Amino acid sequence: MFEELLEDIAQKNGLREVNAYLKLAAGLGAILLCLLSTGYIAPLFIAIVLSCAILILARVDAKIYAELFIVPFWFAIMSVAGLILITGGQDIFWQWNILPSFSLSITRESINQGMFVFCRVIGGMSAMIFIALTTPMTDIFIVFRQCRVPEVVIDLMMIIYRTIFILIDQVIQIYHAQVMRLGYSTYRESLHSFATLCGAAFIASWDAGEDLIRAMDARCYDGKFALLGESRPVERIPCLAVMIFLFLSTAVVIVSGTITII
Amino acid sequence: MHIMEGFLPWQWCVVWWIVALPCLMLGIYQLKKVLAADREALPLLGVTGGFIFILSSLKLPSVTGSCSHPTGTGLSTISFGPWITAVVCAIVLLFQSLFLAHGGLSVLGANIVSMGIVGPLVGYGVYRLLRDTSVNIYITVFLVTALADMFTYVTTSLELALAYPAETGGFVSSFILFMGIFAVTQIPLAIVEGIVLALVFKYIIALKPDILIRLKIFSEEKINAARSDI
Repeated sequence: MFEELLEDIAQKNGLREVNAYLKLAAGLGAILLCLLSTGYIAPLFIAIVLSCAILILARVDAKIYAELFIVPFWFAIMSVAGLILITGGQDIFWQWNILPSFSLSITRESINQGMFVFCRVIGGMSAMIFIALTTPMTDIFIVFRQCRVPEVVIDLMMIIYRTIFILIDQVIQIYHAQVMRLGYSTYRESLHSFATLCGAAFIASWDAGEDLIRAMDARCYDGKFALLGESRPVERIPCLAVMIFLFLSTAVVIVSGTITII
Repeated sequence: MHIMEGFLPWQWCVVWWIVALPCLMLGIYQLKKVLAADREALPLLGVTGGFIFILSSLKLPSVTGSCSHPTGTGLSTISFGPWITAVVCAIVLLFQSLFLAHGGLSVLGANIVSMGIVGPLVGYGVYRLLRDTSVNIYITVFLVTALADMFTYVTTSLELALAYPAETGGFVSSFILFMGIFAVTQIPLAIVEGIVLALVFKYIIALKPDILIRLKIFSEEKINAARSDI
């Protein structure tokens, strides 16, 4: 299950000490450029650069990084296959008229479109994973506060953040105990065990919430969490690197906009 | 399974953000009101959010190879109503994309609309319809969860179909196609999730029924009736 949350990696990655705004600028800028791009090369370029940054600069294990792409790949391939079949075009390679009003076809245009969407997903995913792996949530809270996100929402986020880690420990313990007692041996059994697991998690989280109220009351909680944030200085080299990356990517987006795969 | 980063063209990302934002604002407004009335609600809401996150990162025993997981919003929507659930869901979706690489940032708006707004609204409607009738608690919970789940995926298909209409037949045929792809895994999944949450309720009613009474999810008589069944 979720033994490896990206947050754990983010807390000790190689780019931990870089200013959070710089990392967010690189990640969000890359996402934006992927979305604005009209060709498939720019998202691929962004994916390659950011993957190198994740693997070399942030020193993330290559195997973990590769595993993160398995689920999106599966979803992307399935959806892009559907997309290729329903998108039409002039240059038809294969066509099947199921109903008079509905036909599936593979055309030059649909393959180009499918490839483009697929690359955009890869580019976008790597940009998002870049943020996830390099910027710990605690830094993002500080950014949110500086961006004037409503206090209630930030407080809620911090409590959810904290509860997640309490719950994960409990769920893993219960899960292992259930597996040891053959709780997942048959399908019926596994449904039942899973429901017990969820129910126990809910009651445990409820208790954790009540404990939290008492603990906060004891420390004069008045409806606002104090958030200690040290803003790291913007250093020259990372700043320059982000600017060069965004500039190059923009250039690639503009130049390669009309290039198609076939 | 949410729409992932980069799948929607930017125009549609913007559209779904525009749809999601007013709902989130309404949710934040209600949240402030609830907290002003009862400040103990904040930790409880936080806990619900943590619960949704955990639930949706668990792999459900289901069709092999699918990345199906329960959405977990059914529980929150009957406890706190759909608008606050939308805010909680938005936070959970953000955490999911940053902790598990699940979903995305630009498509967050679209995912909030499907998982945080339409699903819970449908679930809440069902709950309100059945709450005061003599329908069994477990059947109510089953229906709320299964329908909330189902409509989450119907909305996801709608979002995908609007962004990528088919050449022949346009929006309608691509909607049917995406529904077809999802239906394979999502209909069994919704049923399984309904059963699981009904069992979760059975467990909670057996061990800690006071939670449900305090949140005013079901009336005391109804819970007592359900307890006597166990």
